[in-house]
Amino acid sequence: MEFHKLPPVKDQIMKCVRCGKCRSVCPVFAEIRNETAAPRGHVFMVQMLRDGKVEPNNDVNERLSNCLMCENCSVNCPSGIDIHELNAAARSYIYDKNPSLSKELIFDSLWTRPGLLKASSKFMWGAQKSGLQSLARHLGLTSILPGDLSKAEKILASVPRQSARSFLPEYNPARGEKKYRIAYFLGCGTDLLNPQVARATVDVLTHYGCEVIIPRDMKCCGLPHIANGKMDTARKLAVHNIKIFNNGDYDYIVTDCASCSSALSSKNMEFLLGGLKIEDEAIAFSQKVMDLTQFLMEKLELKLPGKEVDDRIKVTYHDPCHLANAQGIKKAPRELLKQIPEVEYIEMGEANRCCGGSGTYSLTHYDLSMRILDKKMDSAMETAAAVIATCCPSCMMQLRHGVQRHKWNATVMHPVELLSQSLKQTPAKK
Amino acid sequence: MDKDKIKKALIEMLGKEKVLSEELDLMYYSYDSSFLTKLEPSSPLAVVFPRSTEEVQNIASFAFENNVDIVPRGAGTGETGGCIAIKGGIVLDLSTWDEIVEIDAPNMQVIVRPGVIHAQLNKELSKYNLFFPPDPGSSQMCTIGGMVANNASGLRAVKYGCTEQYILGLEVVLPNGEVITTGGVKAKCIKNVSGLNLTKLMVGSEGILGIVTRIRLRCWPRPKARGIAMAVFDELDDAPAAVLDVYQAGILPSGIEILDRSAIDAVNQFKPEINLPQAEAILLFEVDGNPPSVEYEGSLIKEVVGKRARSIEWATEPKRMAELWEGRSITATAAARVRADASRVFAGEDISVPLARVADTLRAIRALGDKYGIKVVNYGHIGDGNVHTAPVINPENPEEVKKVMEMVHEIHLLAIAMEGSTTGEHGVGAVRRQYAELEHGRAAQLMRDIKRVFDPLGIMNPGKLI
Repeated sequence: MEFHKLPPVKDQIMKCVRCGKCRSVCPVFAEIRNETAAPRGHVFMVQMLRDGKVEPNNDVNERLSNCLMCENCSVNCPSGIDIHELNAAARSYIYDKNPSLSKELIFDSLWTRPGLLKASSKFMWGAQKSGLQSLARHLGLTSILPGDLSKAEKILASVPRQSARSFLPEYNPARGEKKYRIAYFLGCGTDLLNPQVARATVDVLTHYGCEVIIPRDMKCCGLPHIANGKMDTARKLAVHNIKIFNNGDYDYIVTDCASCSSALSSKNMEFLLGGLKIEDEAIAFSQKVMDLTQFLMEKLELKLPGKEVDDRIKVTYHDPCHLANAQGIKKAPRELLKQIPEVEYIEMGEANRCCGGSGTYSLTHYDLSMRILDKKMDSAMETAAAVIATCCPSCMMQLRHGVQRHKWNATVMHPVELLSQSLKQTPAKK
Repeated sequence: MDKDKIKKALIEMLGKEKVLSEELDLMYYSYDSSFLTKLEPSSPLAVVFPRSTEEVQNIASFAFENNVDIVPRGAGTGETGGCIAIKGGIVLDLSTWDEIVEIDAPNMQVIVRPGVIHAQLNKELSKYNLFFPPDPGSSQMCTIGGMVANNASGLRAVKYGCTEQYILGLEVVLPNGEVITTGGVKAKCIKNVSGLNLTKLMVGSEGILGIVTRIRLRCWPRPKARGIAMAVFDELDDAPAAVLDVYQAGILPSGIEILDRSAIDAVNQFKPEINLPQAEAILLFEVDGNPPSVEYEGSLIKEVVGKRARSIEWATEPKRMAELWEGRSITATAAARVRADASRVFAGEDISVPLARVADTLRAIRALGDKYGIKVVNYGHIGDGNVHTAPVINPENPEEVKKVMEMVHEIHLLAIAMEGSTTGEHGVGAVRRQYAELEHGRAAQLMRDIKRVFDPLGIMNPGKLI
C-alpha cells in the first residue's frame, strides 16, 4: 500500500500534539538527548516526509532508524498514536526510493529462505569453532565489516551447531490425554540461536497434553523486515505464513518468541495487511496466536505442585518490549517463574526498560545499543540473580552479551527452559 | 551573520558534539506543543547544548557581538511557541544540563541546573522528606528551567501557589554575556527583602531577559497523608459556589479540579469503564497534610459540599483515590479522542477568571463552541479559576483551522471581559502577545522598557511575551 494511504500516516499524524510525554519514556532519547531522537520528533519527520517537505533519503532514514521500535512511546502516547508504525512506514517508503543491494541480499534472498539462513548460521558456527572468527578479529579483518558490524559481530558469539529444526520432528504427540492441537511458530532466533529453548517448548507443551506440530515450510515472522524498511517483504512473509498455518486445523499457534508473537498479532496484521483482500484471513490467523507463557498460564492454567527445595535459584525477569509493550503481557511470565519450585523470583528495577537489543538494532547501532544495555545490566545485577529470564531470543542474545561485557556470572534463559528442567525433576504427569 | 560562520564559530566554541546545524536536525527544533508551531514550524539557525555557565556566557557574548538572536529551551513542552526561534537565531537546548547541584536539606532548599526534570527532582527530594510543590501536568518531562521561565503551576497551585513562590535566587546570563545572581550573591536564606526583587522579575519572563543557569529553590516538608472527594452537580453554578463554601469553612484544599459536562462526556466516551455520572459538573477536592487533619477536612468538605452536590464521595484509601482521580487525570487525553478524525489543539487553552465568574465563563465558551460548530472540552483548576479549554478539530482542515483561530481569539477576549487573564499558567509566548496592551495598558510599554535595560539589542528570545 502506498505510504500516504497507510492508516497511521493518513489518520494519526495530525493527532500528535507534541506534548513530549514520549521523551520521558524513550530509552534512545535518554541516551541521545536531543529532539532528533524524540519519538514526537519522528512523528514530525514522518509528517514532513508525507507533506514532501523533506526528501525520502538516507539522511532522514538515519534519524528515524535511531528508534529501537520498542513501542514504549506508543503505549504511553496520550493521543494513542502508533509511533512505531509511523516510523516503520516511513523507513519502508524511504527504502523503496533508495534500495540497497546488501539489504536485498540479507532480507530478501537470505532471511526469506529458512534453508539459506540455516546454512549461514552453520557457517558462523564453523567460523567460530575453527578459530576463524578469532583469527579474523586478531588480524583486524572484522574491522572491514560495514558500519557497526565490526563491533557487533561479538554479539553473535557462540552460534549453536544445530538448529532446532534439524533435531525436532514436525509432529510431536501429546503425552497423556490430548488437550490441544498446537502449531509451534518456531522463529528464526529460537531456531538458530536458542535451539534449547525450542526443545524445552516442545517438551513442556507435549508434557501438558498438547500435540505440537512444527510446520516445515513456515518462514520468518517478518519483524526484522519491518524494522529495516522491507515492509513489502514482510507482507509476503505474512501472507505465506497465514496460508501455511490456516491450512492446519490448529487450536492455537504458540510461539516462545516475543517478537514473533507481536509480528503475528492482529495489531500488526492490520498494519501490514489492513485494507487488503487477505485481511480477514490474517485476523483469523492472528487470533489463534499466543505467547507461550500466556498460553501456559491462561489456557493450560498451569499449576505446579509445591515442593521443598533446598537451594533455589535466584531468577530475575526482563520484559521484552515486544511482549510487554506490544502485547501487554507482563503477568504470565512472572507467574510462570514464581510457580517453579526451584526458582526464587526477584523482580529487577525497571524490568520493562528495553535492553537495547531489538532484533538487528544492536548490530546496526552497536555503541548506542551498549549504552542502553549497560543500564539494563545495572538493574539486573542489583538483584544478584543467577539467571536472567526473558522471552525473546533477541533480548537473550543482547543480555548474554551484557553478562559477558560486565563479567557477571549469570545465565540467560527462557522461562520455559526453567520449567522444563523442573518438570524433569518432577515425576511425569499421568 | 552568515549561517555557516555561526555554525563554525559555535563548533569552535563548544565542540561538534554540542552543536546541531544541519538543516534536517534544525527542523526538529521548529516546534513545541503549541498549535502555532504545528501550523507554522520555524527552524533555528543552530541548536547548542551548553552544560556550564561559562559556555552559556560564551554563546551569549558571541550572539551579542554578532547581533544574533538567542532562544533558551527546556523540554519543549510549552504551549505558546515560547522556546521557538520564530525569527531564526540560536536555540540553547538546556535540557541536557540536568545536574542537581546541592540538596541543602537543613536549609530546606535545593540548587539545580535548568534541565532537571520536575518529577526527577521530587524523586530525589523525597529521600529527604521534602518536595517542590508546584505540580504541572507535564511533571515527567518538563524542566525546572522551563517552569521558572513560565512561572508554571498546575494541579496544586490552589494551596501551594506557583513556581515564583519557591524561587529563592537565580543565576542569570544576560544577553551580553554578563552573569548576575538574584536573591543575594552569597545568600542561603529563605526570607530576603533586600534590593529590588529581580528574582520575581525573572520568573515568568519567558527567556526574554536572560538565560537562567542556576536555580535556588525552596522546598517544603512532604505531607504524610491525602484524601480525595468527588462531588457531582446538577447545576453548573453550584460547582464554583461549592468551592467558595469550602474556603469559607476554613479549608484550603491542595487541589480543586473541575470537569464540566463536556469533559465528563469525553471521559466516558474514551473510557466507558470509568463511568462518570452524567452531570453538569464534577468537582474533585484533594486535601493533604497530617492524617487527622486530612480526615477532619474531608468530613467537613463532605458536609459543606454535600448541601449543593447531588452526591459526594470521600476516599483516603489509595486504590479508591486513584479511581476517583482517574477521570481528571485522563481528561486532557480523552479530549483529544472525542472525535476520531480530529485532535485537540493547544490554543486558547489556559484562560484564568475570577472564581465567581467561572460558571458564566464556561457557559460562554460552550456558546462559542456552538457558534463555530467546534467541539470544546472544558476542565481545569477551578480552585484558582484557571479553565483549560480543549477545542477538538481536524488541524489539517484549513476551514476548521480558520474557525478555531477565530474562536480562540474570542475566548481570549472573553477572559479579559470576565476580569481575568488570557493565561493562568501556560504563558504568553508568541501566541498571546497581541493582548499585552489590552491586559496591561500602559504597563505593557513599561515592560518593553524593562526588557531594553536587560537586552538593548533585542536579541533575547524576540517576539515573545510583550
